[in-house]
Amino acid sequence: MPEYKAPLRDIRFLIDNVFDFHGHYAALGATDASPDMVSAILEEGAKFCENVLAPLNRSGDEEGCHFDNGVVTTPKGFKEAFAQYVEGGWHGVAADPAYGGQGLPQSLGLVLSEMIGSSNTSWGMYPGLTHGAMSAIHAHGTDEQKATFLSKLTAGEWTGTMCLTEAHCGTDLGLIKTRAVPQADGSYAVTGSKIFISAGEHDMSANIIHLVLAKLPDAPAGTKGISLFIVPKFHADSGERNAVHCGSIEHKMGIKGSATCVLNFDGAKGFLIGEANKGLNCMFTMMNHARLGTGMQGLCNGEASFQGAIKYANDRLQMRSLTGAKAPEKAADPIIVHADVRRMLLTMKAFNEGNRALAYFTAQLLDTAHLSSDAGQRQEAEDLLAFLTPICKAFMTDTGLEVTNHGMQVFGGHGYIREWGMEQLARDARIAPIYEGTNGIQALDLLGRKVLGSQGKLLRGFTKIVHKFCAANAEHPLLKAHVAQLNQLNQEWGELTTKVGMAAMKNPDEVGAAAVDYLMYSGYVILAYLWLRMAIAAEAHDDAEFARAKLATCDFYFKRLLPRTATHRAAVEAGSECLMSLPAEAFALGVT
Amino acid sequence: MSEKLFAMADYKAPLRDMRFVLNEVFEVATTWAQLPALADTVDAETVEAILEEAGKVTAKSIAPISRGGDEQGCRWADTVVTTPDGYPQAYKTYAEGGWVGVGGDPAFGGMGMPKAVSAQVEEMINSSSLAFGLYPMLTSGACVSINTHASEALKATYLPKMYSGEWAGSMCLTEAHAGTDLGIIRTKAEPQADGSYTISGTKIFITGGEHDLTENIIHLVLAKLPDAPAGPKGISLFLVPKFMVNADGSLGARNLVSCGSIEHKMGIQASATCVMNFDAAVGYLVGEPNRGLAAMFTMMNYERLGVGIQGLASGERSYQNAIEYARDRLQSRSPLGAQAKDKVADPIIVHPDVRRMLLTMKAANEGGRAFSTYVATQLDIAKFSEDAAARERADNLVALLTPVAKAFLSDLGLETTVLGQQVFGGHGYIREWGQEQLVRDVRITQIYEGTNGIQALDLMGRKIVGSGGAFYTLFADEIRQFIAAQGAELGEFTRPLSAAVDNLDELTAWVLDRAKTNPNEIGAASVEYLHAFGYMAYAYMWARMAKAALGKEAEEDFYASKLGTARFYFARLLPRIHSLSASVKAGSESLFLLDEALF
Repeated sequence: MPEYKAPLRDIRFLIDNVFDFHGHYAALGATDASPDMVSAILEEGAKFCENVLAPLNRSGDEEGCHFDNGVVTTPKGFKEAFAQYVEGGWHGVAADPAYGGQGLPQSLGLVLSEMIGSSNTSWGMYPGLTHGAMSAIHAHGTDEQKATFLSKLTAGEWTGTMCLTEAHCGTDLGLIKTRAVPQADGSYAVTGSKIFISAGEHDMSANIIHLVLAKLPDAPAGTKGISLFIVPKFHADSGERNAVHCGSIEHKMGIKGSATCVLNFDGAKGFLIGEANKGLNCMFTMMNHARLGTGMQGLCNGEASFQGAIKYANDRLQMRSLTGAKAPEKAADPIIVHADVRRMLLTMKAFNEGNRALAYFTAQLLDTAHLSSDAGQRQEAEDLLAFLTPICKAFMTDTGLEVTNHGMQVFGGHGYIREWGMEQLARDARIAPIYEGTNGIQALDLLGRKVLGSQGKLLRGFTKIVHKFCAANAEHPLLKAHVAQLNQLNQEWGELTTKVGMAAMKNPDEVGAAAVDYLMYSGYVILAYLWLRMAIAAEAHDDAEFARAKLATCDFYFKRLLPRTATHRAAVEAGSECLMSLPAEAFALGVT
Repeated sequence: MSEKLFAMADYKAPLRDMRFVLNEVFEVATTWAQLPALADTVDAETVEAILEEAGKVTAKSIAPISRGGDEQGCRWADTVVTTPDGYPQAYKTYAEGGWVGVGGDPAFGGMGMPKAVSAQVEEMINSSSLAFGLYPMLTSGACVSINTHASEALKATYLPKMYSGEWAGSMCLTEAHAGTDLGIIRTKAEPQADGSYTISGTKIFITGGEHDLTENIIHLVLAKLPDAPAGPKGISLFLVPKFMVNADGSLGARNLVSCGSIEHKMGIQASATCVMNFDAAVGYLVGEPNRGLAAMFTMMNYERLGVGIQGLASGERSYQNAIEYARDRLQSRSPLGAQAKDKVADPIIVHPDVRRMLLTMKAANEGGRAFSTYVATQLDIAKFSEDAAARERADNLVALLTPVAKAFLSDLGLETTVLGQQVFGGHGYIREWGQEQLVRDVRITQIYEGTNGIQALDLMGRKIVGSGGAFYTLFADEIRQFIAAQGAELGEFTRPLSAAVDNLDELTAWVLDRAKTNPNEIGAASVEYLHAFGYMAYAYMWARMAKAALGKEAEEDFYASKLGTARFYFARLLPRIHSLSASVKAGSESLFLLDEALF
């Protein structure tokens, strides 16, 4: 397994030099997030992840979770690591102090979650899901519900889940069958079966608090008839076992240390949270955060893969450089001398560092949306978040999968062997484009609901920022060619959107036909903007070598990766006809 | 439990499409008629029977053991390797059908089929189980080397038993410190008084190095003679049997070669990937001393095309599962309004983005089937033609197109299997459904038999630059002649094809020019160049398929489907060449701005 070292220098560069987290926190009145506090969290968080979580990643994959008669056992060490994590106070870093949290901004929690996910994605699922449940209860629970559940969840004594999917419905939640029948005491009896429930059952905490989507008896059909319920594994007051049980766990491609459960609710006692029939809305309030967190998993596995690949490429001796021996004293040159190995490494590096910048940029917006006292500023942040969230989720996870595949490829045959750990990262990364709304669904959300749904307003909110940036840096001595390229793409982006919008007015299939390529196109342009911001900040950096590496990677990004926009643009412009003309029966005539 | 948890689609050999490619697009019978060596063995009826029977044996006997084989994997205990349940029986069935020797030399009991036919069989076997398919593949690869380079005595002793599937073969190249760079191998061969050699050393990543499918395993081993020059010019090839073979053909004593362990891998779990220890094992020189790499290269073109076909085969299996799921799974309504009003939701195939994924798979698979058959036909001409000029032309095309077939088909194999997984949503990540296994299995094809980066260097450096662009011109000219011969009715396909050839002309000239002053330009351009080449080659295939289908839409829906897929290819996949070309033209500079330490 590649040894994980938290990329603190790059993290600090973004925090200090690119995005000025300190100024940002001060402006929001988040005075607890002082530079010293941020620094301590980075240093200590890095140690915990490197020393406690990373060593459990490979063994967790081999061992997996075990299911026996309703009981789920996590891999060796997972439980102890969770206890240490809770003990260290990491679980409540960004949680409300009213319930025992440390009250630090969301963005810091996300910085920490990168380190956790890079060192052990499977393990990170357990606290990750708990954070999701906490934010739903925090936003929609009654004071009593908050008092009952949030303190224990924040303290990590209890953990949480989100129970949405059923066997026959994943994307289309309007079809769920789980029922909630009102009881005389004001509670509900929840009955149904949920699948793909991450951390639905395990041995890491004393209690598990499930947030469950279900339908009331009189609920309207479809998505407007779904309500959200709190269903504890053990009742908070009596300590009695509730009628919710794990029926089995899935056998998966990866994230094997994460228990993915079938949960059976047999008249389990639940409590309505939020308004009746407004369950999906309750879920949506935490969606931005959860989807950004999922996007982060692309970066996490990509970063871990890069760390493995760069070490291997410096160590592995194979063939001579095409321009003559670079290590004549050795049997062969280290493979990093080869142009194509560098292409793979730089692709990994450019995506990872670009995606990290995208995640931090977006995380700052989360802070602003939560903490700003200025309503206008909050709305602006919300709009940008609505626009960027599906891009973070899908672009970062698709490129994350690409990065982990490059990392395997750098290792040649050894990349395919489990002991080296590189293939695990590709398997673990593969879930992220699927769950939390498939990337196809993210793309529909971006183009259909967000961009076209706002008549382009949400897009313009971002292109305006890019436009201003380009205007301000048009004469930049070193980077003006790249700035001009970005400016041109920024305009093209608007034109492309208009084109799709016009076509979609005539034919609603045009949205789905264009969506994935539109999202990827958008991601490449956004990363170009962020790479230029990093390049400009790097120029002023006091570490000349670090600055040189940043500028070189920026150059690589513009020359070798940004041209991919041309492909995505052409696919968007191709329209829906070539997708829709074949009847469904005509897809499999080659076998007759 | 999900109600459909074990409802993986059955595999069905794509025989209609194979017949279309062989008979209607390439009219292989015409080619074969000009190759006298094939005249005795190949006729339309035989080929039809072979396709039918191969379709049956792979679908019935092998496809059903793929999933279980992945879960169980191979087991190793004290040098003995046990394959998963059902594998020995399935291998016996397969061997008894004569399938291991389908492309083998009839002089030694092979079936003598041209590569264009055996390529279809390879696709079917690999669609059923890539891990299973490796055992016969390695055997037939070893046979090609033996048949081409070994003495008559070795051929007579080993080939009949290998073609019949009684014995299997392996290729022992890689050592722990030497994969791509075979010049630095350490395995030694000492000449003995009786003309044999004793082989000592350790090989890794040996597919089929040890197993329980056959009574004997014949290893072809790269090793160095005591006086061998350093580097790749000092490598010789040896035949090392697991059990010695007596004069009467019966098995004798166990040779000193044994399996030290097997690897734990991402996929192809039912294929035993072995560490092989040679402790002064008896071996026999194959071909000339120090010409071992050259002896390997004769089978390399066949093997590399075969690996490309594995990419296609995995994509085909994934597609068959995905299409069935997309028609069954009900989820959300079409943007145009409900299409299946009687149901709670529409089948997901109504959604444009699901169709984008399915059509990408379909276009890549069918393009890959045509392209691999095209390359196979060139291999047949190169091997069997009695016209020296025709042989040379085919040889050059094979040299040019083999790295493209290996790398492009396997890269697309990963893309298509990942899409096939995505169509399944969360179920795609669950092992029981089988889609994720195809991703794990196909992932090896980009790595072994020369990584795809090495294939790209082979294409760009040895083939394009090495021939001064001549091999490229050969292929481009053929495409231009095809375009020139077509009428206006094919214009929607030939116009973008023509533009793609122009684009690649320009790109090729650009790289040839830059490589004169900086050899790093070759490696910097190579992978994206290979992909741009692949998309152009598939455009040629799709134009030829469109030509064969055009006008027949009313006869059979198959042709309408073909044309619709061709249109999708030109509209949505061919445009990828623009990004690839831009990346190539960015040159090597941005790859070498960073010192090693600055990464």
